[in-house]
Amino acid sequence: MPKSPDEVLFTNVRILDGSGQHPFAGSVRVRGNRIVQVGRSAGSAPAGDALVVDAAGATLMPGMTEAHTHFSWNDAASLAGIQTMPLEEHVLWAAKVAHNYLKVGFTSCVGAACAKPRLDVVIRNAINSGQIPGPRYLAASQEITVPGGLGDEMLPHLPFPEFSFGVVVNGAEDLRRVTRMFLKYGVDAVKLNLSGDNFVPGADAKTTWMTDAEVAACAEEVRMRGKRIIVHARSCASVKQALRHGIRMIYHASFTDTEALDMLEAVKDEVFVVPGIGILYALLHEAEPWGVTREQAVAMGYEEEWAAACESLRAMHRRGIRVLPGGDYGFAFNPHLHNARDLELFVKYLGFTPMEAIRSCTLYGGQVMLRPQDLGVIREGYLADLLLVDGDPLAGVGILKDQRRLLAVMKDGVFAKAPVAADAHAWERAA
Amino acid sequence: MADVLFTNVRIFDGGGETPFTGEVLVQGNRIARVVKTGYGLRSAPVSGARTIDGAGAFLMPGMVEAHTHFSWNDQPSLESIQRMPPEEHILWCAQVAKRYLDMGWTSCVGAATAKPRLDVVIRNAINDGTIVGPRYLAASQEITVPGGLGDTTAPHLPQSEFAFGAVVSGAEEMRRCIRMFCKYGVDSLKINLSGESITGMPSEMSQFTEEEIRVCVEEAKAWGKRVAAHARSTWSIKQCVKLGIEVIYHASFTDEESLDLLEAHKFEHFVAPGLAWLINTCHNASQWGLTPEVTRKMGYHRELEAALESMKAMRRRGIRILPGGDYGFAWTPHGTNAKDLEYFVKYVGMSPMEALLSATAWGGPMMKRGKELGYVREGCLADLLLIDGDPLADITILQDQKRILAVMKDGEFHRAPPARQGRMTRWAA
Repeated sequence: MPKSPDEVLFTNVRILDGSGQHPFAGSVRVRGNRIVQVGRSAGSAPAGDALVVDAAGATLMPGMTEAHTHFSWNDAASLAGIQTMPLEEHVLWAAKVAHNYLKVGFTSCVGAACAKPRLDVVIRNAINSGQIPGPRYLAASQEITVPGGLGDEMLPHLPFPEFSFGVVVNGAEDLRRVTRMFLKYGVDAVKLNLSGDNFVPGADAKTTWMTDAEVAACAEEVRMRGKRIIVHARSCASVKQALRHGIRMIYHASFTDTEALDMLEAVKDEVFVVPGIGILYALLHEAEPWGVTREQAVAMGYEEEWAAACESLRAMHRRGIRVLPGGDYGFAFNPHLHNARDLELFVKYLGFTPMEAIRSCTLYGGQVMLRPQDLGVIREGYLADLLLVDGDPLAGVGILKDQRRLLAVMKDGVFAKAPVAADAHAWERAA
Repeated sequence: MADVLFTNVRIFDGGGETPFTGEVLVQGNRIARVVKTGYGLRSAPVSGARTIDGAGAFLMPGMVEAHTHFSWNDQPSLESIQRMPPEEHILWCAQVAKRYLDMGWTSCVGAATAKPRLDVVIRNAINDGTIVGPRYLAASQEITVPGGLGDTTAPHLPQSEFAFGAVVSGAEEMRRCIRMFCKYGVDSLKINLSGESITGMPSEMSQFTEEEIRVCVEEAKAWGKRVAAHARSTWSIKQCVKLGIEVIYHASFTDEESLDLLEAHKFEHFVAPGLAWLINTCHNASQWGLTPEVTRKMGYHRELEAALESMKAMRRRGIRILPGGDYGFAWTPHGTNAKDLEYFVKYVGMSPMEALLSATAWGGPMMKRGKELGYVREGCLADLLLIDGDPLADITILQDQKRILAVMKDGEFHRAPPARQGRMTRWAA
């Protein structure tokens, strides 16, 4: 496939613009990295010098945003399995995963934590410099946790920080120092594990771990440098703690009460909730090959959490709080590239219409990527991150999981996956 | 993977014969059939294969680079290579590996890496398909002595992380070092036996005791690994022959005794002089402060003269000289490696045929693949280049990526020949 030309004209497309409005037939012209024209006429637009992609009625929609991405999770079954991958292999793994996300239609990803201090930053920089292909990316820190909390993988007889999946801190000043270190490395977001997780013995999802003084120290540093804090917050207390400290990116939020929901609703124009519903579903229903039977999953508390999360998230959705897809993919039982399944789960279990599910990864995607003014919808002047889909995602969002239905992926005006031309298989003369 | 049939190509088979017109059938990762075609000769029918009409283009074996440093980062000094963080460094190596394949080098022999595991990781990632790159033999870091070539630690920063090479002193430290790299999974151990003028230690000088070198070779052989040496000085060349170090890099300063030794053992050694480094350091590095006056003072001009004389003498004696020239410095950037073949023709007196053979037929054994690599012959591995033009008439065309119409490695196109561009309208569905 030759390089993308300066101008591409998609004709004969059904435009699902990502804002929530109904699709319409028309054409879209891309020049450089921007959408310059959105035509509502079904008739032909003058092509000029543009490469014309006649889509024969396929759906053109904005590239999807994954709001909770871990490029460095290596599809292992445990945190230890991720942590023991050596650094060099880990970078190449993350680079490969980044490319694959782009190929399956995620043109933007929000890093939710990385497994070694610099992985996310290095991958983001390499994508931005053109060294490797990948989505737009916001780089995260490692998970910051407390001794015994989620992410502290040190064994009592091997108390070395290199053995830990997350960075283990104790006390406000320790947290401040670690926060500064990650800011020095160049992260876009600092990740705090405020709650536990049913995966961790003795630190289940309903537990809350950090002191307010610790969270405040981190928040102060991060704000000073204009970056974002993102939190792992499954418990009700951790959701409230995050909101009290002005944190606006909340992962999981499985357990809520009326007070927590009210607090969320009060800042609904600022806050994003990304539940990571995919991994809960997988642990409950699909993790048996990796040793988590249904009985074990129930005993670990996943049935209870699933029920609580569905209730919490339905309530948030009703109250107009933005809930986005992105689901902790990158474990053996919840592997990378199945991410679009989140949309299906949103429709099936959280009371979303297909249109709302799509909007959560398009319009809201631009917002969560901190580019609401020019990313996430198909509109003149916006960045040309586009998917050409064979079929109608509104009739079944599940088709977005299927790579074969993705006819083309464009990021920043360049095809990451080019539409197959009718003559691509014909071998012609070489010289 | 579909079979591929190249028709109407001029075949340079790596055997030294004049190219002939014919057809080559690739099945799986092997060359299944090579046939002459032309007046009175019928082409054999093939069904089910993709047919590539070469329109008379030149089909040759993929080239073998005998002295490769993926982790050198096109910078002007060892320090600036060393200072690249490991995460960026591994991505750089992956990018460079692809670049070599782009330029027709389907095999590369790692000559040393800048951090302990870079070469091993890249080789593994190529082999398991994580990244795209040539066949690769992974090297250790350069093993050196305190103060020798590759010891970039400063007196006030003595931590080993600051060193470009692995610094050892004494036989047992050498043994530990070799064992560590063998544990990491290298294919070869690199030992710096001589100096390198730019580092302050002249190229004619040597380092290491014979005992240390002996332990290096002994331990490497115990693990079934190869040893390669940075050996510019006469003494170091002789050590290579005496102690059985298979790969001799540079070999600039020779005397009759060292040439006789090499000739007597000529099928046990490979010499890769790395002329690009000498030539470009002498003449093309002014931009980085290395004007000809500076490099003359360092001794590089004298070394270049000596190296050219040595190579001419080795060529006359039938010693195997291979291309691969320490590419990866600012004035010898990666991807320009085919200049070595031009240098062989221009300065060493090789015919274009000899230069081409040095990059193909001798590449097979250099890659430890004997005669199944480096030839366009039935049963050989399908590493092939389709060239627009005749490298035997003009060896420099191999430096031009546009003239390399197609690159095939292991039966798969890394770059398929361009199909003729026609329509601008594409049907998506």
